[in-house]
Amino acid sequence: MSRTTRVLTVDDSASMRALLNHALSTNGFEVSQADDGVSALEWLAVNEVDVVITDINMPRLDGFGLIEQVRGGTRHRDRPILVLTTESSDEKKARARAAGATGWIVKPFDTDKLVAAVRRVAH
Amino acid sequence: MNTIITSGATVRLTVLQGQFKISAGPRVELSTVLGSCVATCLYDPEIELGGMNHFLLPEPPSGRSPGEVDVHYGVYLMEMLINEMLSYGAHKNRLRAHLYGGANIRAGMQQIGTANAEFARSFLRSERIELVREDLGGANARRVDFRPASGKVRCRTVASSDAPEVQAPPMIRQAPRGEVELF
Repeated sequence: MSRTTRVLTVDDSASMRALLNHALSTNGFEVSQADDGVSALEWLAVNEVDVVITDINMPRLDGFGLIEQVRGGTRHRDRPILVLTTESSDEKKARARAAGATGWIVKPFDTDKLVAAVRRVAH
Repeated sequence: MNTIITSGATVRLTVLQGQFKISAGPRVELSTVLGSCVATCLYDPEIELGGMNHFLLPEPPSGRSPGEVDVHYGVYLMEMLINEMLSYGAHKNRLRAHLYGGANIRAGMQQIGTANAEFARSFLRSERIELVREDLGGANARRVDFRPASGKVRCRTVASSDAPEVQAPPMIRQAPRGEVELF
């Protein structure tokens, strides 16, 4: 029997967290949520995860910083990290890729495409 | 292009349904006319940067098919406005908000204005952004003129016929929806 895929979403918008939680949990994922990069790192220090989905613009520690710290650590360094953002510039996309992001998803997200992307990178 | 930073002659920019604009230009005025739609004016007094959005519906209904989601919903336009301001140096804990619009102009129709107003207040509460002024509800259209560099707002009642008709989002602009690129 396959285990439920665990997803951590990182976004400073409470409304966006609610939308993501609804979209992912109704599609069978186990969802945990953090409101910025610092909270995400604190959570990741003591929990296991299969996929991380992160916003870019957040207080305290942004998405780029989060990706760099996860990739530079040991515990979750090989986990897929999807960026989910309103940003569309090629420069920021290239920066996310260079930092070690696994993929780039443009908000507003399409639930089917988001779920397909998470399933694809989780295995 | 949503971002205009200018310091030249007076420039009045109209913020249409489904749009947001930010500016630090001292002579820039962001204007819009609202019926049931709601406009949020956000201002960071420390860096004298402001922005306005104009949304026509609060959130996509949960039963709606995923492909129909688009940026005319408040939940996205609020985040886009905040993110754009943060990317230009604003701090979320310094942001001050004004809310305008949310009228129910046509009796007997679904109370879209009330839903928009409630969503906007609730969004600001959940994001812990201070709401310093609101002029929401009622049955009259409003014209809002916002000076983003000073945070000053003028809101007046206008003839309801001046308010734009609420249009279905796909008729205005098809937004890119959740495009995925795996590296």
